[in-house]
Amino acid sequence: MDYRKCAQEIYDLVGKRDNLVSAAHCATRLRLVTNDNSKVNIKKLEDVDGVKGVFSSNGQLQIILGTGTVNKVYDEFLSISGMTAATKADVKAAAAAKQPLPFRMVKALGDVFVPILPAIVAAGLLMGILNGLVLIWPDLEKSSTYEILSMFSNAAFTFLPIIVAVSAARVFGGNIFLGAVIGMIMVHPSLLNAWNVAAELEAGHQIPQADVWFGLYKINMTGYQGHVIPVIISVWFMCFLEKRLHKIVPEMIDLFVTPLVTVLVTGYLTLTIFGPVFAQLEEWVLVGIQWIIKIPYGIGAAIAGAVYPLTVVCGIHHMYNTVEARMLSVPGGYNTWMPIASSANFAQGAACFAVAVKSKDKKFKSLAMPSSFSAFLGITEPAIFGVNLRLMKPLICGMIGGAVGAAVGSMLGIGATAYGVTGLFGFLTASDFIWQYAIMLAVSFVISFTLSFILHKDKPKEEEAEEAPELPEITCEKGKVYAPIKGNVIASAQIPDETFAAGVLGEGVGIEPELGVVYAPFDGEISSTTDTKHAIGISSPDGLELLIHVGVNTVAMNGDGFELFVAEGDTVKAGQKLMTFDIDKIKAAGYSTTTAVLVTNSDDYAGLDIAEGGCSPLDCVITVKE
Amino acid sequence: MKQFTYTITDPVGIHARPAGILVKAVKPFQSTCKITKGEKTVDLRKLMALMGMGVKCGDTVEVTIEGPDEDTAAETIEKFFKDNL
Repeated sequence: MDYRKCAQEIYDLVGKRDNLVSAAHCATRLRLVTNDNSKVNIKKLEDVDGVKGVFSSNGQLQIILGTGTVNKVYDEFLSISGMTAATKADVKAAAAAKQPLPFRMVKALGDVFVPILPAIVAAGLLMGILNGLVLIWPDLEKSSTYEILSMFSNAAFTFLPIIVAVSAARVFGGNIFLGAVIGMIMVHPSLLNAWNVAAELEAGHQIPQADVWFGLYKINMTGYQGHVIPVIISVWFMCFLEKRLHKIVPEMIDLFVTPLVTVLVTGYLTLTIFGPVFAQLEEWVLVGIQWIIKIPYGIGAAIAGAVYPLTVVCGIHHMYNTVEARMLSVPGGYNTWMPIASSANFAQGAACFAVAVKSKDKKFKSLAMPSSFSAFLGITEPAIFGVNLRLMKPLICGMIGGAVGAAVGSMLGIGATAYGVTGLFGFLTASDFIWQYAIMLAVSFVISFTLSFILHKDKPKEEEAEEAPELPEITCEKGKVYAPIKGNVIASAQIPDETFAAGVLGEGVGIEPELGVVYAPFDGEISSTTDTKHAIGISSPDGLELLIHVGVNTVAMNGDGFELFVAEGDTVKAGQKLMTFDIDKIKAAGYSTTTAVLVTNSDDYAGLDIAEGGCSPLDCVITVKE
Repeated sequence: MKQFTYTITDPVGIHARPAGILVKAVKPFQSTCKITKGEKTVDLRKLMALMGMGVKCGDTVEVTIEGPDEDTAAETIEKFFKDNL
């Protein structure tokens, strides 16, 4: 075979030097990072003599050439392109950086929210039902039962920052209790409750203030009840700081220095910078919204209806009570904000409902269904954070439905006589406009549901079916561990668990899995399995012992969501399927899915080379040094 | 030769994490340390083998230590079992 010719053809088809960022190879594949993958002619690449397959994954273009061939083609490729050899880690770093930031942020937001959904679904439904009952039967509000139930319903929302902070600390790999402290600082009873700010101002009271940064400026001593984004930002910073400190503070004093400094610095920055900056942004959004809804012919209402769910994401929506109260304070005035919010909420519920109806994924269905009901009653957080924002398409479909609905509502001149409830219970406050209100809800429901139903596709399942069978056979090199899971490789010290991170079970890597399938990382023998099915030990003929431990603390799941395909003593080939696990189930149980891949006898070796970044199954991730 | 038996009280048994810590605790000693459950005996230094035994809560295991520092080793390891498992 003519290696030079093969390399030349590949070079031409990937768009020559201008389109190439870096090149590397592993045992079987040429791995390229291109500026623009769409300029690559994949069809023609597959026809090149010597190329066995082409696919692009994690921003990398991978060209399968086979062992023995790939290194020769690679050498020719370098000489033709004039590029220098990149390590596989370089290629992966270049590829990971290509994942757009908003995409990574939305993913982080989802990871934070999924484990806490049961709490807010319960609170949301209870709150919606209570609000409605009070409107039907006003005397209820005076009863002590109501007082108690109302406390239950708002507990999760009042202390939402604490729950969010704990979950965020887990996602970002910090100490969850320190995270909780940050959340507690933000809703400390010594701060004025954010929900009461409007009432305090109305009553003519001053908002208490405090001097910060040695009198440089003042901050409002108000809490962050109901907030999400500033909490996540603060905790992200906290985890960053904590991990840094763990590295630089000597071990002897680490236990008291690191937590102290972490809480002190993060807490102060949160109350003086992150929080106030965010509060200021909120203020501007609020002013902007009030200005927008003055635009006539339903246009303003449409815009407001579209952006409303985004303000829920940011946690600003509770501020709208101020706007509504002002509208009602004019004699004979109607609350015209309520129909906009109702339409937006109802549309998000409908989009979520469409997913629930169409999805074949049982777990997703069981999450989407109650979330959408809660949204119909006016509490949209479960639907938005649990379903719509994660899938993105339903969120946008809901925004479109909400916008049209709000425009219709505005043109029909709907107004409510109170504030605080939306969705189905809105009928009770929009009692002068029953028919118009019904039409508006129907419009936003139908548009949002239809769009979302057409556009929704169950993604992860399809991916699994596509990817699972097509692993090429590879020849294992001595001392190399190939990725058992598709995902993102991190250093073992970054695994959010002290035992793994400290290397007690050996050195290695962590993989944040994208797909719940574990493949054999080399040819070898299964040396141990557990009844809880979450961990596999495998040893290679040349004595390398490897532990694959899926998730952190998943022993407590007792095998639920895990399936093993091998038994102790089995001989396996690299790439053979060993186990499947349910990523969503692990997340729902509140554990990290980060999987430890550790060389348990790493003491026998001089050290390990690891390749961090995105990995597909059978990419080389660990090389031991004799 | 030193020997002791112990009944596991940790609800999840000897899974990955405790096994790792146990192996670490055994490593510094020169004596051979073996653990027996039923008919199976494995080296306490071998993490994989130890995990493979699948020791669960309520299981009774026998630990055997033999070598020059068996006294201190037995004491340390027994204490480890009592404190952690």
